[in-house]
Amino acid sequence: MTNLPILTLITFVPLAGALLIAFLPRGRPDLARWAALITSLVSFVLSLLLLPAFEVGAPGFQFKEQADWIPAFGIQYKLGIDGISLALVVLTTTLSWISILASFGPIKDRVKEYMISFLILEVGMIGVFVALDTFLFYIFFEIVLVPMYLIIGIWGGANRIYATLKFVLYTLIGSLLMLVAILATAFSFQALNGGNWAGAFDYEQLRGFGFDPGFQAFAFLAFALAFAIKVPMFPFHTWLPDAHVEAPTAGSVILAGVLLKLGGYGFIRYAVPLFPDAAVTFAPAIIVLSLIAIIYGAIVALVQPDLKKLVAYSSVSHMGFVTLGIFVFQQQGLEGAVLQMVNHGVITGALFLCVGVIYERTHDRTIARMGGLAAPVPVYAALLGFFMLASLGLPGLSGFVGEFLVVLGTFDVMPGAAFVAMLVVVLSAAYLMWMFQRVVFGELSDFLRGIGHHLTDVTPVELLTLTPLVALTLLLGVFPGLILELLHGPVNDVIAAVSGGTVIAR
Amino acid sequence: MTETDLVAISPLIFVIALAMLIIVADIIWPDRDDISTGLTVAGLLVGAGLTVLVAQSEAREIFAGAYVVDPLTSFLDVLFLAIALVTVLVAPDYLRPRGLPMAEFTATLLFAISGAMLISGSRDLLVLFLGLELLVLPGYMLAGYAKRDGYSTEGAIKYFLLGSFSSAIFLFGLALTWGFTGTTRIREVAASLAQLDTASALAPALLMGLALLTTGVAFKIAAVPFHYWTPDAYQGSPTPVTGYLSVGPKVAAFALILRLFVEALAPIKADWTPVVIVLAAITMTLGNLVALTQDNVKRMLAYSSIAHTGYIMVGLAAYAGAPVGSEAERAGLEGLLFYSVAYAFMNLGAFAIVSALQHRRGVTSQIETFAGLGRRAPWAAILMTLFLLSLTGIPPTAGFFAKAYVVLAAVQAGGWVSVLAVIAVLNAAAAAFYYLRVVVFMFMRDPPETARPVLTGTMMRAGLAITAVMTIFIGLVPPVTSGVIEFARVAAEVLLVRTAGG
Repeated sequence: MTNLPILTLITFVPLAGALLIAFLPRGRPDLARWAALITSLVSFVLSLLLLPAFEVGAPGFQFKEQADWIPAFGIQYKLGIDGISLALVVLTTTLSWISILASFGPIKDRVKEYMISFLILEVGMIGVFVALDTFLFYIFFEIVLVPMYLIIGIWGGANRIYATLKFVLYTLIGSLLMLVAILATAFSFQALNGGNWAGAFDYEQLRGFGFDPGFQAFAFLAFALAFAIKVPMFPFHTWLPDAHVEAPTAGSVILAGVLLKLGGYGFIRYAVPLFPDAAVTFAPAIIVLSLIAIIYGAIVALVQPDLKKLVAYSSVSHMGFVTLGIFVFQQQGLEGAVLQMVNHGVITGALFLCVGVIYERTHDRTIARMGGLAAPVPVYAALLGFFMLASLGLPGLSGFVGEFLVVLGTFDVMPGAAFVAMLVVVLSAAYLMWMFQRVVFGELSDFLRGIGHHLTDVTPVELLTLTPLVALTLLLGVFPGLILELLHGPVNDVIAAVSGGTVIAR
Repeated sequence: MTETDLVAISPLIFVIALAMLIIVADIIWPDRDDISTGLTVAGLLVGAGLTVLVAQSEAREIFAGAYVVDPLTSFLDVLFLAIALVTVLVAPDYLRPRGLPMAEFTATLLFAISGAMLISGSRDLLVLFLGLELLVLPGYMLAGYAKRDGYSTEGAIKYFLLGSFSSAIFLFGLALTWGFTGTTRIREVAASLAQLDTASALAPALLMGLALLTTGVAFKIAAVPFHYWTPDAYQGSPTPVTGYLSVGPKVAAFALILRLFVEALAPIKADWTPVVIVLAAITMTLGNLVALTQDNVKRMLAYSSIAHTGYIMVGLAAYAGAPVGSEAERAGLEGLLFYSVAYAFMNLGAFAIVSALQHRRGVTSQIETFAGLGRRAPWAAILMTLFLLSLTGIPPTAGFFAKAYVVLAAVQAGGWVSVLAVIAVLNAAAAAFYYLRVVVFMFMRDPPETARPVLTGTMMRAGLAITAVMTIFIGLVPPVTSGVIEFARVAAEVLLVRTAGG
C-alpha cells in the first residue's frame, strides 16, 4: 500500500470538479457536461485501483487515513474501507458516471448547476461509505440531502416541489434523531472512559464497546429510524414513489442505486454492530416489517399504471430482502443482503435508465398507452427484457443470487419467514412480466403510432450507459463469488458482534 | 477609580466617544453619509482591536467591583462589535434609497451597542439595569426609524410599550432581590443566596423576585409566551434594523442571563431550572409552528428567531439541569455562547440578503420577491441558500455545529433536559420546511416579468462576505471551529469558577 490518500482523492475529486464547473462560462453547457463526466470518470478509475490493492481476507479496515478534526471532542477525519464499503464505493462511482452521461441529453436547462449538484451528491455518497468517524459519517449522510433536494426540485416533473420537500422532511426527521443518538453515544463513551473524549466518535473504538442495554435500545431505535426511512422500510416508504416519479432519470438512478443503500449500509455498519443487544431485541419486529415490505411492495407494483412507479415499488420489495437478510444474523443472509444491495443498484438503476429512454421519446410513462415496442425499437425491447428478467430473479443473472442467499439464510433461522419471502418470486414475476407484455408485445399502440418517426431505437450514448450494467449483471450472476469473497470477513465481524447476545430462534 | 480601571473599560468608552464624534461630524458636514459610515466602520474595527488588547485571561474587577473584564466580557464585546459592523455595512443599501440618514442610524446603533457592552461585564444589579436600558432605548428608536412608514411606527410603539413594561417588571424583580439579600453586588448576592437552606422552600419575596426577573428577561429574549411584540416590531422595522434587533438585543439579553442567573442566582438554580426547560420547549416549538405559515420572509425570520431563542435556551437548560460542578454545566454554557456566535452571523446574513433585495424602494419582503432569484441574481440566491441551510442546521455550516453543540450539552445534562434534545432536533426538521420553501422560490420558480436586477453596493458586499465567510468557516475550517469552541470554553469557565467560589 502506498501513502497516497486514495480514499480522500476518490471522495473529493468530484468536489474539485464541482468547483471547476462553477467557474466555467455560463454559455457553454457542453463544457460543464464534459468536465462533470471526466471528473466522475477519474473518481471511478481511482476506485477501480482499490480493487487489486485491496487485501481480501485481511481483518479490519484498509487504506486508513486519520487526522484530528475537532480535538476538543475527539472528532476525527478518519476514513477506511472493508469489503462491504469497497463494493458499495465501486457501485457508487460506476453509477455516478453513468448517470452523468445519461443526463447529457435530457438535461438542457441550467446544466452547470445540475452538474455541480450531481458531483456534490457523489462526494456525500462516497463519503458515507468510507467514513469511520460517526460525526463525519453524519455530515456526509446529510450532505447527500441538499443536492438531491435540488435535483428533484429544479429538474424534476410537474409535482416536483411536493415530492422533494417530502423527501427532505422524511429524511431529516430520521437523521436528526440519529444525530442525537450519535452525540449520546459519544457522550456515554467518554463518561465511561473517565471523561476522556478521545475516540468518542471513532467507529473502531465504539464498535464492541458494549453500551448499557437500556441506552442501546434508545440509540438503536434512533439509528434504525434514520436508516429505515432511507431504505425505505414499510411503513416509512411513502416518500419514495413520489420522489422517484418526479426526479429526472439520472436522479432516480442514483436514488434507487445508491441512496437507498445508505440505509442498508447504515444498518450493517452502525446500527447492528454498535448496539448488538438492542439489534437482537428488535430483530423480530424488523423481520416482520421486511416481510411486509417484500409482499406489499410487490402487490402495489402489480397495479401501478406508471412505469416509474412500478419500478419504485419494486424497489421497496427488493430492499425488503436487504433488511430481512441483515436481521436474520446469519452468514448467507448477511452476505446475500450486501450482494442484493449491489445487484439492486445495478438492475434497478438500469431499469430507470430504460424508463428514461422511452420517456425521452414519448414524454409519457403510462403503461396503458404503450404497446408493441418490439417491432419499432428491437434493441431497446431486448435491453428492457434483459433487466426485467434480472429483476425478477432469473438464475444466471445477478438478481437471483442475492435473493436466493437471503432466503437460504432466513430458512436456516426461521423457515416460516423464508416461505413468505419466497412467495414474492411469483408476485414479482407477475408484475414484471405483465408490464413487459403490455409495453413490448402486441400491436403498436395508437399513442406510440402518433409519435411516428420520433420513436427511435437506443442512441449510442444510451447504449453506452446501459452496456456496462448488462455486463455487470451477467458477471455478478455467473461469478457472485467476486463480491462474496470480499464479504466473508466483515460479515463474520457483524455476526460475532451480535452473537454476544442470544441469536434468535436457535 | 484608577487609571487602570479606565484602561480596562476603554473599549466601552471608545464606542460611546465614537457615537458622539459621529453626531458632531454630522453637524459639521451634514448630508455626508459617507463620513459617518466610514468613521463607524473604522471605529468599530479599532474598538474590536482595543477589546482584544485589554482582554484579560483572569477576571479583573474594576470600579470597586461594579464591572469586570474577564474572557466572557471580551468574548461578548467582540461579538457585539461584529454585529454592529455587519449592520452598518448592510444598512446604506436599504436606507439611502428611502432617504433615511446614516449618521443618526450609526450613532443610535453605537449607543445601543455600548449598552450591550455594559451588560457583558456588569457585576452589579444596577449597572446591569443601566446597561439594559441603554441597550433597548436606542432599539426603540431604530425600530421606528422609518418614521413616515406606518408599519415602522406601529412596530416601534409596540416594541416600546412592551419593552418598557417588561423593563419595569425586571426592575421590580431586581428590587425584591436587593431587598432580600441587602446588596446589589452580584457576588454578594450569590454569596447570600448560597447560605440559604436549599432543601426548604424559598422565601416568598425572593420567589416573587425570581418570577419577575424571569418574566423580564423572557420578554427581552422573546421567549414564548412573552414574544408577542417580536413579529410586528421585526416586520415593521427597516430591514437592516430587523437584522440587528433579531441578533444584538437577543445576544445581549443572554449576556444578561449569564451575569444574572448564572452568576448571581446560581445557588438557587434548582428553582428556576424547570421554568427554563419548559420555556425552551414551547419557545422552539411555537416559534417554528407559526413560522411555517408565514408568507412574508421578514416575518418568517422573525418567528424563526423565536425558535432560535429556544435552541439557545437549550444550552441554558443544560447548564441549569446539570448537577453542580459537572462537565455538562460547562458544556451548556459553551453551547449557549457558540450558538450565539453562529446565530449572529447566519441570521444577519439572511437579513442582509433581504435588505439587498429591497434596495429599490417599494420591493416588499413577501416570499414572491424571491421568485426566480437563482436566475436573476445567482450569487445572492446562493448566499441566501447558505444562510438558510445554516439556520436549518445542515452540515457543514456553522448552524449545524451550533445545534450539535447544544444538543450534545443537553444529552450530557441528562434527565428532562435530554428530552429537550429530541424536541430541538424535531423542531429543526420542521424548520427545514419553511427555510427550504424560500429556496424553492429562489431556484424552482420563474422570476416575475416585472423583476429588475438586484443591485448591491460595495459595503453590502463586504457585509455579506463577512457573514458568509463566518458561516462557512465556523463549520468547515477546523481551526476556526476549534478556535470558537476554545474561546467559548474559556469564557464559560470563568463564569463557573466564580459560581463555584460563590
